[in-house]
Amino acid sequence: MKGLARDLGRLVAKERVRTDPEDLFAYGGDATYYVKRGKPDAVVLPENTSEVSEVMKYAFHNAIPVTPRGAGSGLSGGCTPLHGGIVLDMKRMGRILEINRRNMSARVEAGVVLADFHKAVKKQGLFYPPNPQSMNVCTLGGNVATRACGPHGVKYGATGDYVMGLEVVLPDGSVIAPGGLAARSSAGYDLTHLFAGSEGTLGVITKANLRLLALPPAHRTAVVACESIEQAGDTVSEILAGGTLPAMIEFIPQMAIVAMNNYITPPLITEGQAYLLIALDGTQDEIQAQADEILGICRRMGVLDIRVIEDEKEAETYWTARSNLGGMLLTMMKKAINEDVAVPRDRIPEFVREIQNMASTLSKVVLGIAGHAGDGNMHPSIFFPEVNSEAEKEAQETVKKVVRLGLSLGGTVSGEHGIGFHKAEFLHWELGEVQIRLLKRIKKAFDPKGIMNPGKLWKDGR
Amino acid sequence: MHDLEPYRDMMAKCSHCGLCQATCPVYLEDFLQTHLARARMDLIRAVLLEGEIPVTKRFREVLDRCLLCTNCSRTCPAGVPVDEIIAAARNQVYQGKRRDPVRRQLLRRFMNQRGMKGLMGMAGSVAHKMGWTPEELPAPASKPFEKRFKGRIPAKGKARARVAYFVGCATNTLYPDTGKAVINVLAHNDIEVLIPEGQVCCGMPALAEGDLPLVQEMMRKNVPVLAGCDVDAVVTDCTSCGMMFKAKAAKTLPEDDPLRPQAEALAEKVWEVTDYLNQIGLTAEPPPLPESYTYHIPCHRGWTPTVDDAPRNLLGKIPEAELIELENPDKCCGAGGTFFMDFKELAADIRTGKLADIRQTGAKTVLTQCPACRSFLRTQFEDGQVTHPIVLLAKAYGI
Ligand SMILES: Cc1cc2nc3c(=O)[nH]c(=O)nc-3n(C[C@H](O)[C@H](O)[C@H](O)COP(=O)(O)OP(=O)(O)OC[C@H]3O[C@@H](n4cnc5c(N)ncnc54)[C@H](O)[C@@H]3O)c2cc1C
Ligand code: SF4
Ligand code: SF4
Repeated sequence: MKGLARDLGRLVAKERVRTDPEDLFAYGGDATYYVKRGKPDAVVLPENTSEVSEVMKYAFHNAIPVTPRGAGSGLSGGCTPLHGGIVLDMKRMGRILEINRRNMSARVEAGVVLADFHKAVKKQGLFYPPNPQSMNVCTLGGNVATRACGPHGVKYGATGDYVMGLEVVLPDGSVIAPGGLAARSSAGYDLTHLFAGSEGTLGVITKANLRLLALPPAHRTAVVACESIEQAGDTVSEILAGGTLPAMIEFIPQMAIVAMNNYITPPLITEGQAYLLIALDGTQDEIQAQADEILGICRRMGVLDIRVIEDEKEAETYWTARSNLGGMLLTMMKKAINEDVAVPRDRIPEFVREIQNMASTLSKVVLGIAGHAGDGNMHPSIFFPEVNSEAEKEAQETVKKVVRLGLSLGGTVSGEHGIGFHKAEFLHWELGEVQIRLLKRIKKAFDPKGIMNPGKLWKDGR
Repeated sequence: MHDLEPYRDMMAKCSHCGLCQATCPVYLEDFLQTHLARARMDLIRAVLLEGEIPVTKRFREVLDRCLLCTNCSRTCPAGVPVDEIIAAARNQVYQGKRRDPVRRQLLRRFMNQRGMKGLMGMAGSVAHKMGWTPEELPAPASKPFEKRFKGRIPAKGKARARVAYFVGCATNTLYPDTGKAVINVLAHNDIEVLIPEGQVCCGMPALAEGDLPLVQEMMRKNVPVLAGCDVDAVVTDCTSCGMMFKAKAAKTLPEDDPLRPQAEALAEKVWEVTDYLNQIGLTAEPPPLPESYTYHIPCHRGWTPTVDDAPRNLLGKIPEAELIELENPDKCCGAGGTFFMDFKELAADIRTGKLADIRQTGAKTVLTQCPACRSFLRTQFEDGQVTHPIVLLAKAYGI
C-alpha cells in the first residue's frame, strides 16, 4: 500500500510504525500460525487512545483493514491479519491506571500483561481470578476480546464476569466508554459485554475497568491419580455435586504427567490413566473442611493415590508445570491442535468416555484430553507424532467429530479461546443461520465498512 | 552450532505459544514481536534455510539485537535452544566477518592471545578503536591475574580435592582480585588448585560475533589443556565461561571432530566456583561479617540447576551477613557480553530497570557471578560495590 508508512508516520511516531518485510513477517499470526498466516501492510504500536483513534479514522477513511493484537498468544487465529492492512500491537498501552481498594476495582490499559496485573493487585491484598494458562504473556485486552477463562473458572467464572466497563475506539475513530465503575448497571443494552468476546471485530478496546475480590488468605494444592479417565471424570462430578467448590480442578492425562514430572519433586506415580490437580482456597478452616470432603470422595471412588501439598511455594511448581503443559507435550510430538469444546458439567464423564472411544480408533494422530475439568472446559487436543497429509486428514475429521460430540451434549465449540478463523465453520453449527445473520447485522451497525479484523467469527467474516 | 540445518527440527518444535515474551529482555524493552524468539526463528528459517526472504540490514539487526542470554530457551516449554540457533545463524551470515577487518583483528588478538606484553592497555585500546565508550569499561588492573599467580596452589590442610581453575579473560585482566579470592577460598577449604598454563578466552565473545572458526581455534587450545589435568573438577568464577564449557563447547565442533569426545568429557567436570563449594561443603567455618548484600543472578545460569542458589546457600553460612533479595533477582542487566557496546541505548534502558530494583533493596553490595554484569552495573552504581560472591566469602575469612 503506497504511502501507508508515510501517512501513518504522521499520526504515530515513526519508530512505532513498522513496514520492513521482516517486521510484517513477524506479525503474521498467533499460536495457530501453522494453519494460516497473514501478512499486514503495516504494524503500528500506539501508546494512547488518541493515537488509536487517529489510526482508526485514517483506516476508516481509506477502508483499510485493522487487526488489533495483544500478545498473539491466541489459539484461534484471532489476531491473524487475513486481509492485510494494519496490525495494531497494543502492548505499549501497558499502564495500570488505578487499583481502587474501596471500590474493589481497577482501571487498566488494554496492553497490560495479566500476570503483572495479578501481582499488582495481590500486593494490595486483592485478587483478580481469571487465569488463562498463558497469563505470563497474554494481555487484558486480549482476555476481554476472547472472554478468556482458566482453571479458576470453576469457582470464579471467566473474564467477562469481571468487566465493569470499557473504553473502545470504534472503526470510525470515535471513542466510547460503555459501562463504568458502578457495581451494577441496567442502562440499556449491555454494550460492555458485547465487546467482551468480540475478538477485535467491533472496535479496539483501549481501557478496561475490572472487578476485584479480596485475596483468599490460604491455599492448598492436591494431586489425585486416577485409575482411568472415566474415574477422573466421575470424581470431578462427585466433588462438584457434593457441594465443594475447589478454586481449580485441572484434568491431566498420563502422557502429560510424564512431562510434568520434570518440574516436580518427588515425581508423581505414572500408573494413573488420568490425574486431577486441585487447588483449594479460603480460610484455613474452610480449606480443611474442603480437603476432608474431597479426600473422602476420592477414597470412596477408589483412586490410586492422593498427594496433598501444604507448602505454597512447592505448590507453585505444580501449577507452573501445568501452565507449561501444552509446550512440554510438543517436546514429544511434532505438532498439536488445541480445541476447547466445553460441555455442561454433568456431561463430563460421558464426554470423556466418548473421546476415549474415538481416540482408540485413530492411527495417525493421538487424541488426548486435558483441561479445566471443573467447568467442563475439557480441551481435547490432537497430537501429531509425524506430520503428513494422512495425519492432517485424520486430524481434521477428528476435530469435526469432537465438535459434534460436544454440541450433541449441549456444549459449545469454544469454552474460552474464541472463534477466530479457526473455528468459524463450527460457529454456524452451534448458532444456526438465524443467529449468524443477527451477528452480522450487529457487526454492520458497528463496522459499516467491514474493516475491523475481517475474516473472523463466521465463514466469510464480514 | 557449526551448522543451522541440524536445528531445523528444533525450530519446528516452537509452537508459537509466545511464552518467551515474559522473559526476553530485548522484547521487554522494544515490545516488538520481530525481536521475540519465535519471530527470530521464523525469520532465520525463511531467510537462511528456505531463502524466501533475502539477507537484509534489518535481518542482520534482528540477529544482532539479541543478548544470547538464554532467557527464552529457559522459559520455553518446548525447550528450543534459541540462543544456539541465533549463534549458528550469525555464524552463517557473518562467517566471522561481522566487524570490519581492523576491529576484527583487534578482537581476535584480544581474545586469542593471553599474557602478551601490554595486554593491560589492550582492553581500553580495543574499546577505543572499536568506537565503544571507554567509560563503559572498567580500567584494567595494573597486573593481570596470570602474572601474579601460576602453577599449583596447595590446600591449607590435607587436600580433599584437586581442581583446575579456568581463569576467564575478565578475571584475568579486570578483576584479578576475584581470581585471588577464588584460589584463596578453595585452598582455605582444603582444596588444591591448579592453574593450567596455555588457557585462552573461553570463546563466548567469538560465538556472539558469529565467528565459529575462532571459537574452534580456542577450543583446540583450551580443551586439551583442561581435559589433560588430573583433577576432580574444573572451576571458573564466570557463569559465561562455565556455560561455554559445560553446555556449548562440544556443539561448536563438527560431529566427527576428534576433539569432541574430549570436550564432552570436560563438560562433565565443569563447575562455577560457588556452586562447587556449596556442593562439596566448606571445611572452614566462616567468621561473622556484619554486611548486607543483594544478589543478581546472571542470565547464563541454565547450564546447571544449582548455580543460581549456590551463592545464597554458601553465603548464608556467614554469620551476620544478610541477603536482601531483589524483587526479580533473575532480571537481565542489559550487558550481554559485548551487546551493551553495540546497542548502547537499549542496554542502558534495561540496566535502568535493574538498578531501580537494586536501589530498592538499600544494599550497598551487589553480588553476581558474571563479570560483564558486574562491570556494566558498576558504571552506574555509584552507591556501592558490585563484586563476585566469592569475594565476600574471602572477606569473611579475612584472606
Ligand atoms: C500456552 C497457552 C495457554 C493458554 N491457556 C489459555 C487458557 O487457559 N484459557 C484461555 O482462555 N485461553 C488460553 N490461551 C489462549 C490465549 O492466551 C487467550 O485467548 C488470550 O486471551 C489471548 O490474549 P492475547 O493478548 O494474546 O490476544 P491475541 O492473541 O493477540 O488476540 C486475541 C484476540 O483478541 C483480539 N484483541 C486483542 N487485543 C485487543 C484489543 N485491545 N481490542 C480489541 N481486540 C483485541 C484480537 O484481535 C484477537 O481476535 C492459551 C494460549 C497459550 C499459548
Ligand atoms: S537469547 Fe535473550 S535476548 Fe536473545 S531472544 Fe532469547 S531472551 Fe531474547
Ligand atoms: S516459548 Fe518456545 S515454543 Fe513458545 S514461542 Fe517462544 S520459542 Fe516458541
